[in-house]
Amino acid sequence: MANKNAFLFADETTRFYFPWIFLLMVFIGTLLCGSGLFVYNCLNRWQQGVSESLTIQINTYDDNGVFRAEAVNEDIEKALSIIRTTPGVREANVLDENQMGELMAPWIGADVNLMDLPLPKLIDVAIDPKNPPFLEQLKMDLSIQVPNASLDSHRIWLTQLVKLSHRILQLIGIILILIIFTVVFTVSYTTRASLKIQEPIIRLVHMMGAKDFYITTKYAWRSLKRSLIGGFLGFCCAAPILVALIYCFEGMSDSIFTTGIYMEQWLFLAGYPLLMSFIAFITTFKSVLGYLKRFI
Amino acid sequence: MTPNESISPVIAEFNGVSFRYKIGTDVLKDLHFSLAPGSFHFLTGESGAGKTSLLSLLYMDHLPTKGRVRLFGQTVDSLKRSEKAQIRRQIGVVFQDYRLLNHLNAFDNVALPLRIIGEKESDIRKHVTELLAWVGLEKQMRAYPEELSGGEQQRVAIARAVIHKPSLLLADEPTGNVDDAMAQRLLYLFLELNKLGTTIVVATHNEGLIQKFGFPRLHLHGGQVHLTIPRNSDISKLTKGEKNGQ
Ligand SMILES: Nc1ncnc2c1ncn2[C@@H]1O[C@H](COP(=O)(O)OP(=O)(O)OP(=O)(O)O)[C@@H](O)[C@H]1O
Ligand SMILES: [Mg+2]
Repeated sequence: MANKNAFLFADETTRFYFPWIFLLMVFIGTLLCGSGLFVYNCLNRWQQGVSESLTIQINTYDDNGVFRAEAVNEDIEKALSIIRTTPGVREANVLDENQMGELMAPWIGADVNLMDLPLPKLIDVAIDPKNPPFLEQLKMDLSIQVPNASLDSHRIWLTQLVKLSHRILQLIGIILILIIFTVVFTVSYTTRASLKIQEPIIRLVHMMGAKDFYITTKYAWRSLKRSLIGGFLGFCCAAPILVALIYCFEGMSDSIFTTGIYMEQWLFLAGYPLLMSFIAFITTFKSVLGYLKRFI
Repeated sequence: MTPNESISPVIAEFNGVSFRYKIGTDVLKDLHFSLAPGSFHFLTGESGAGKTSLLSLLYMDHLPTKGRVRLFGQTVDSLKRSEKAQIRRQIGVVFQDYRLLNHLNAFDNVALPLRIIGEKESDIRKHVTELLAWVGLEKQMRAYPEELSGGEQQRVAIARAVIHKPSLLLADEPTGNVDDAMAQRLLYLFLELNKLGTTIVVATHNEGLIQKFGFPRLHLHGGQVHLTIPRNSDISKLTKGEKNGQ
């Protein structure tokens, strides 16, 4: 006994084509989306590190271990005047001994006389996080005028990295949208091609009193089924690659699911092929419905 | 000629219907006629006279260029798509070119109208098997159209048109490819349906059949239709349908 829906299956030109398209689209999409999430997670972790302040350190001893005494206060004044005139800086203050003590207590205990230790002087700089100072410039100015001052340099490349990551995320977003457009275009094109081939059949069943909804859903379900198969396979191909990618960056530290991409995010990723299939379903539905209007 | 619409339900009614294809001149010009429930008509006319075109207006493959077609009491162009589908389910059509689906075997071709209306598979099996046996194709049930002779294909097409016991059967040259004995047998099938109340229009060139069965004839010529009721045939013996003429 032939399938109940057999009348639709005269044209199988799209049968293999369709799942392959989805395999490819979902594969690329999942990889991109997954990498995006990974970058996003890393970004969040890094940004926790980039606080709203930064610290400038002024050495109190020179390279030979000699106490620089008066020169230190001069350096502090110079550094402060540079920092305070830098746009994006809210305020800058030298940490006093109490503050230094609080800062050092976890390492050296509370009742150690700090004067006995060769500690540098620290300037705490509060920055405007929305409009941070141009750190590269600041670093250069300091190194020229106050050679004994140093700006925590890894913050500089971190801000650069954060900027870059934002760009990458935007790019990934754009590509994901392009993939959706591609899917919509491909699905409506293949649907139309398939309808064209099957026009006599559709004309016939239409003439026999098949309702638009009946014909349309038959097509849409078929698209859904084929796209789900392709999407599932695409996801299955992409997931191990993502895991390997995270492994390369992070090592097997805790678990892939707590650092690289979280469990909820994996579920979100698994929703990607479903979203694609849903789009295929809707697109097919609309294409067929539009096509059927040509029949009286 | 047209009876009062409100008191006399007609299956189909043409009111000043003209029709032309996108290219060319009028194929049908200002037709007025109606088909009473349970009537049986032959549709004749030379090749190219417009028989197929007229039938296509009856199964709503085309809309009239001018005038009004009413089917089952409703004007065709005022119908919603779903209402048209509902009406189409009451119509069976034997196409001149059969229009069998080549990827389905005889059984599935015949089962198609039943599947569209959502009949139960077990009922479908029973009815389709019976009907195919009746038209002499019990052995070819699983054969695909390409594996059937012209006449066998024609019988599959006929079986498909009548399987859902339509209220209106439109047969376009349904016996063009079978011998006289089979032609008569098929006409008896139509006759059986007609006795059950199906309104039937058979387009044919076969004068022998027309003479033998003696039903009223709608003759197309020059885009006009002329109704003739043969005097010498006893129609009441063959059909209980109401005849309407001028
Ligand atoms: N799709 C079409 N487009 C344009 N003209 C058509 C089309 N179909 C038929 N015609 C023209 O309409 C006229 C009537 O054709 P139709 O098929 O109705 O004739 P017919 O009476 O069924 O002929 P036959 O006995 O040969 O089947 C013919 O002149 C034909 O050329
Ligand atoms: Mg014809």
